[in-house]
Amino acid sequence: MSDFAPPGDPAIPDYGQASDCVINNGAFCTDWFISQWSTVFWPPLLSHIIMVAIAVSIGFVIAFCAGLLAYRKKWLAGPIGMAATFLYTLPPLALFQLLVPFTGLSLLTVEIALVCFTLVIIFQAVLVGLSGVPDDVRRAATGMGLDRNQLLFKVELPLALPSIISGVRIATVLTVSITTIAAFVVDDGLGSPIIKAVSSPFNTQFVGAGALAVLLAFALDGLLVLLGRVLTPWTKARS
Amino acid sequence: MDVIFGAFPFMIDNVGLLLTKTGDHLVISLIPLLAAIILGVPIGIWLGHAHRGEFLAVSVTNIGRALPSLALIAILIGFVGIGMLNAMIALFLLAFPPILSYAFQAVDSIDRDLTRAARGMGMSPGQVLLKVELPLGLPMIIAGIRTSAVLTVSSATIATIAGSGGLGDVILNQVAYGMEGVVAGAIWVAVLAILVDQAFALLLRVSAPAGVKRLQSTNAG
Amino acid sequence: MTQHSTGSSITFDRATKTYPGAATPALDALDLEVAAGELVCLVGPSGGGKTTALQLVNRLVDLTSGDIRIGDRSITDQSAIELRRTIGYAIQQSGLFPHYTVADNIATVPAILGWDKKRIRTRTAELLELVGLSPVETWLPRYPAQLSGGQQQRVGIARALAADPPVMLMDEPFGALDPITRVAVQDEFLAIHRAVGKTTLFVTHDIDEAIKMADRIAILKPGGKLAQFGAPAEVLSNPADDFVAEFLGAERGLKRLALTTVGEIVTAGTTSPEGAGADASITTAGWPDVEATMTLREALSVVSAARAEGAIVHAGGSRLGEVSLHDLIAPPAAGEDREGVRA
Repeated sequence: MSDFAPPGDPAIPDYGQASDCVINNGAFCTDWFISQWSTVFWPPLLSHIIMVAIAVSIGFVIAFCAGLLAYRKKWLAGPIGMAATFLYTLPPLALFQLLVPFTGLSLLTVEIALVCFTLVIIFQAVLVGLSGVPDDVRRAATGMGLDRNQLLFKVELPLALPSIISGVRIATVLTVSITTIAAFVVDDGLGSPIIKAVSSPFNTQFVGAGALAVLLAFALDGLLVLLGRVLTPWTKARS
Repeated sequence: MDVIFGAFPFMIDNVGLLLTKTGDHLVISLIPLLAAIILGVPIGIWLGHAHRGEFLAVSVTNIGRALPSLALIAILIGFVGIGMLNAMIALFLLAFPPILSYAFQAVDSIDRDLTRAARGMGMSPGQVLLKVELPLGLPMIIAGIRTSAVLTVSSATIATIAGSGGLGDVILNQVAYGMEGVVAGAIWVAVLAILVDQAFALLLRVSAPAGVKRLQSTNAG
Repeated sequence: MTQHSTGSSITFDRATKTYPGAATPALDALDLEVAAGELVCLVGPSGGGKTTALQLVNRLVDLTSGDIRIGDRSITDQSAIELRRTIGYAIQQSGLFPHYTVADNIATVPAILGWDKKRIRTRTAELLELVGLSPVETWLPRYPAQLSGGQQQRVGIARALAADPPVMLMDEPFGALDPITRVAVQDEFLAIHRAVGKTTLFVTHDIDEAIKMADRIAILKPGGKLAQFGAPAEVLSNPADDFVAEFLGAERGLKRLALTTVGEIVTAGTTSPEGAGADASITTAGWPDVEATMTLREALSVVSAARAEGAIVHAGGSRLGEVSLHDLIAPPAAGEDREGVRA
């Protein structure tokens, strides 16, 4: 694990033509940002998106199954919840460093840690959603002759979707934020340009990367909201 | 695996160092947290009592969650420079949203029937706040502070890049302390975060008014 | 209409349910038979076991001892889930699936039973017409949140009838509706029952609703015992014991009057405008107008308000005759001659 500022970098990344803004290290130099987009910003952004997507997907699968299990066997809800909350409480950097001796400075380390942070949020969202199904709906469904699985897949899960999607949204935004720290482990993600520019410090690089991280979080959140609307058409219907 | 085992001798050998770093860590965590509490709790309660500003509270929360601590600290380096002030401003900005949001929700979500009954009995708005809304809302306010405290202690590890000290100094400095040291630091800060979390959990259990304890329990933990 | 069955009988055979930990049974050795095509209302105070009795039939609650048969088949003959798919079930909050359209809600059980899409569509349209929701196309794509309470309840009934079950169970289905809507839906359901003839067991705590709807009423008393089982007129005239008399209330005599309409007892008057009969001493001056479709009880109320001695009966605009106060209070039994009031 190297120190966060790679030694020997130029104080200001001068790739040839340095505009006044860059020379004076203004808050944000749009021209530099645009000209360096494909080298400095886009690759980390892409890998950031991929890391988040992998983490949230795996975290969702694990937490969803855990949620279903805890819904069937109520006594599991407490222990699973506590374990997930414990993982969530750990400072991300600490968790990364604790994993490094086992899984090295690799994407695996990053993903394991990122998955850990999504678990409690999605797990609780699943449980809250399933428990929130109105009693009379459940009673009518059972009385009509739906068996346990039909009840779950046709009634309970669809009605739990709004809560589950809300949980996935929160987990996603959080993961985008934490993934910036992954740059301490692998030279990837939007944290990378931030760390590299901190020692100089060259504002445009980390302001740009930071802003991209925030925008990415909102963009993914927005996409999930749209997904939610598609999957739950009845929530918009009002007389 | 040896590294993990090596971490414990490191801890024993370097207790002083770790304690100093922990002390620094707590200082740079607690001051912003206190500031966030002093500012966020009253504003949140006031907004919740007036049942206004829900959009503001929600937006602040969303932005706060989306803000990576790393980016925040880096940006502040540009404006404030290196040092503790930088870290504290960044940590304050991160600690504030959950406290505001939870305080708002704590008071805003109290059953309107209860406040209506209280006003109907002749209580002034101030009395309603003090005798009804605050006692009932206290657990959720504390839950917000708890969330924020853990977040602050957690983010303070990154603050080291601003040169503010704390356990991050150890965790990110393998060159000086070796992998054993890094792991030791990581374990320490993890334990610190858990302790802070559990301390607040205890406070939470104690704070709920008897008879309402089951109603107001927050999520797992 | 597509072919429908007139239903099977429901027979309770010393059916008993004691909940775990309870000292006394919720339902105590109930013997009751609901004949095929009959509408029986189960009434009683809370704790009387009426909801338990209903839930025993579709095995939402299991029998402690005794048996229940649908037709001649015990409910324990098949699995609970298969049994429930052959029983129509409607409850108080309707329990419509919020995430299903009206069409999908009604189609739930037929879809599970594997009906093909065309058959389901035809049946759904038919049922919506039956419950009074037409034109069908406007209602099919709606979600429950877009419906009023009365409309939701009608869809609930349609859903219960969807797979054409031989038997219907209804658990206080109209209890959550406001009084005006409730009357409308009750009338609607009576019309449906007349058209479709399903054996229906209907739980309600409202004795007036039971009197209006039921072919026979079963009164359960606390401790889960059957107090009386008979036609409304019979129960109202001859309560089996003090409990029933008290449960029916001090006004049961008046409640009986709600069972007959004015049209059923009116005598044809002369065509003279004042309505004087052959006996010129009868005067109908000041008598209010009533419709032939009104119950005796309603007519009595009108006459009382007008402080008159009788009423003039109309039907569809034309005058049918008149009824005296005495006729209203002591209606002749079927087949008897009417006694007029002679001055």
